[in-house]
Amino acid sequence: MAEQQAAARESFSSIQVGQSIQGQPFSVSRESIQRFADGSLDYNPLHFDDEYMKNEFGKTRFGGVIMHGMQNFALITRTLTDWLLPQGGYHRRLETRWRKPVYPGDVITTHATVSDKFETEKSRWVTFDIEVKNQKGQAVATGQSMAEFPDKFPGRVGSPT
Amino acid sequence: MDPILSDFETDFWRQAKSRQTWDEIIPGEPRATRPLTLTKELIAKFARAMGEDNPLYFDEEYAKNTPFGGIVAPPSIHILLMFACTASDDWMRSPGTINAGQSWFYNVPARPGDTISMVGRALDRFVRKGRLFVIHDNVFYNQNNEVVCSGRGWTIRPN
Repeated sequence: MAEQQAAARESFSSIQVGQSIQGQPFSVSRESIQRFADGSLDYNPLHFDDEYMKNEFGKTRFGGVIMHGMQNFALITRTLTDWLLPQGGYHRRLETRWRKPVYPGDVITTHATVSDKFETEKSRWVTFDIEVKNQKGQAVATGQSMAEFPDKFPGRVGSPT
Repeated sequence: MDPILSDFETDFWRQAKSRQTWDEIIPGEPRATRPLTLTKELIAKFARAMGEDNPLYFDEEYAKNTPFGGIVAPPSIHILLMFACTASDDWMRSPGTINAGQSWFYNVPARPGDTISMVGRALDRFVRKGRLFVIHDNVFYNQNNEVVCSGRGWTIRPN
């Protein structure tokens, strides 16, 4: 415990506002969309049915099947948690908006930038600005995130027996 | 198709007519939900499908030596829970439901052996720039009534 406490405090003090983190590029394909649907149980025809996608949706015509918006969310989460965990950081919050549809053939990459650091009476916090960009450099998703560098992670320790 | 829960109805058209439309959704009315018990296998399969490879989600020996003291589910597990914990006639499965954005706050991690329950509802609905929006909010609890995560989402509904 004392060790984790010291490590989290040290990581927190070494993090710089403006520091950036980049995720691994992710290649979107019909197979990746299928894998995401099987894991999330989201089988909306938006992601599978080419004929259906010729329709107009509200005021949007996608023109073809699109990736699940939540695939962005999962990739952002993964980028942040993999960066935070070795430093004793705990992923606390993620807010996202989808800006552009993502299609099979696109390659998307998460970019996170430390936007602020602050301490409260009980803990230490880091906020991030998030952008997921496609291969053309266009932002397909944007958002904000918040991590805590606590003395102890929330919840019980260890799996239930 | 190889759904993570083998009895899951993958054809979202099948009950399309019995689902509430934008006109019928009542903000504040609780959605019908059912609990889901997580296993190591389910967590590993989910994590793999999300593109995760951190051993924290797969390897008990590794996970024991982290501050978690054992395998946990990735925070993004609510992506699965949203469908696994709701009924097949739930409006989240209406074909053409477009996700516009979400926000989630994470409390205690979900672990293998946990039974997760959902409390969810539509909170608001409105028309903006000719699009039909519903805002929904959700909280997932473990068997000890600890909050796992809480979130809000914006969807654009089919008309």
